[in-house]
Amino acid sequence: MTDKADTKLQIADLTKSFGSLLALDNLNLDVQAGEFIALVGPSGCGKTTLLRILAGLEEPDLGGIWIDGREVAGPGSDRAVVFQADCLLPWRSVWHNTVIGLEINGRLDARNREYAMSLLELVGLKGFEKYYPWQLSGGMRQRVNLARALAVQPEVLLMDEPFSALDAQTREIMQVELLRIWEQGKKTVLFITHQIDEAVFLADKVVVLGRRPGRIREVLPVTLPRPRPLEIKRTAEFGHLVDTIWNLIEQDVRQSISEENARLEIGAD
Amino acid sequence: MTIATDGAVPPAGTAPTPSRPGTSRRRRNVPTSPARQKLISVASVVGGLLIWELLGRFVVSNSLFLATPLQAMAELARMTASGELQYHVWVSGQEFIYGFLIASIAGIAIGLAMASSRAANAALGPWVAGLYATPIIAIAPLVILWAGIGIWSKVIVVISVVIFPVIINTEAGIRSTDKALVEAIRSFGASRTQLFTKVMLPSALPFILAGLRLGIGRGLIGVVVGELFGARAGVGFVILQSAEVFNMPRLFAGVAVLAAAGIALMALCRAAETKLVPWNRS
Repeated sequence: MTDKADTKLQIADLTKSFGSLLALDNLNLDVQAGEFIALVGPSGCGKTTLLRILAGLEEPDLGGIWIDGREVAGPGSDRAVVFQADCLLPWRSVWHNTVIGLEINGRLDARNREYAMSLLELVGLKGFEKYYPWQLSGGMRQRVNLARALAVQPEVLLMDEPFSALDAQTREIMQVELLRIWEQGKKTVLFITHQIDEAVFLADKVVVLGRRPGRIREVLPVTLPRPRPLEIKRTAEFGHLVDTIWNLIEQDVRQSISEENARLEIGAD
Repeated sequence: MTIATDGAVPPAGTAPTPSRPGTSRRRRNVPTSPARQKLISVASVVGGLLIWELLGRFVVSNSLFLATPLQAMAELARMTASGELQYHVWVSGQEFIYGFLIASIAGIAIGLAMASSRAANAALGPWVAGLYATPIIAIAPLVILWAGIGIWSKVIVVISVVIFPVIINTEAGIRSTDKALVEAIRSFGASRTQLFTKVMLPSALPFILAGLRLGIGRGLIGVVVGELFGARAGVGFVILQSAEVFNMPRLFAGVAVLAAAGIALMALCRAAETKLVPWNRS
């Protein structure tokens, strides 16, 4: 194991079930430092469960997570999550939302304040410190969410479909922005999405999860050069990658849709 | 949850759902601008008073049954000039303020306890639910009997009517905290205490303020009813005294003071809401 030194995040034998439903089955994944990993899979593949375990919001039944070789349990500021819906506190201004992680960990000193301020500038929200979430657009709110997560200087950044609530145009802009921000610090990122093109555009590696139980089907390296402009989405190589992943999960997606329909019909009775 | 939702009042600003673009376009056919709405309100009040004045002068001209607005205003001016009004308002005001403050602090504390401890909820829940539904004002004569006709009997009556909506709204407010927000902050490693002070409490604030707003109206009723059953001074006492001697202008002057107090306190409460919970407006 020569690359052990570079392994930032190690997920080993992770198993989790809810009652009789096996959500994650013996999942193993090593993530290198500075790597951008995207996790895709149909609904019911356990990707959100995986992220919740990584964030410490859920306990695994078996297995564990190691960051820099240390096992982690429970939430902590070595990981930070950018959530799906915008989870900003409505009574806090942009600034006070950005620093809440620091505040909670008792790390709100002058140096970290300055760092948080530089992050707001990085995400393009300089001058908006005093604004409240309800005064911002959806895209701006997710920028604050990103700044809030980065402010605690996590070892690993976890992102749970952060752009899914945004409209198509804003989403594309945010993808480009996220890459720009990521290039600055090269954080280790685990990005969960159900959009294959988003995964391919952003990631170094796309991890494709299968459903029932959730386990890794395939790990595909994305060899597209960086920095990646939006136009890269129209290249043949990009399209080929998207097709490959789609073929991998198509069967699962169809099955999940028919199961969903069956459940709705049962519910209607 | 059974207790929490019963009778809990949603905070101001959350109740009306934002109108969809489609509906607002349809409404544009019948334009009622804010200025026009204000004009209609003023006209309605002035018109109402005018009808009342005319009724009092020409229809129910017996001054034993009805005083006109002008007579009431004249009486009000006379009472103000003699300093009598200020004295009664001061007495009732003290009763209201002491009762309201004690009920607010205790009510918020009990509501928080009930929201954070299952045991406290199980123990207090049935009492709060039962007493909130009971017209507790009915025990006012008993309170006067126990605590005398001084200020404290009225304070107790005010507390007993104000505290329950405050408890119920505080508890409901804490319970209705968005789970996603709690999780987001918990993911940073927040402790239970931090989650409570940084997420749940601010999130419950609009509910708590709505509970206090409900308490204002109930508290004013408490003061007056308490005074009706036994007092030496106060606005309710003035009303009772005037009714006994058929002094209608004086009675209506007392009622006008109560109305003014209610309107002023409500406006104060709304101003506090806009200042303290600006995010709840949008």
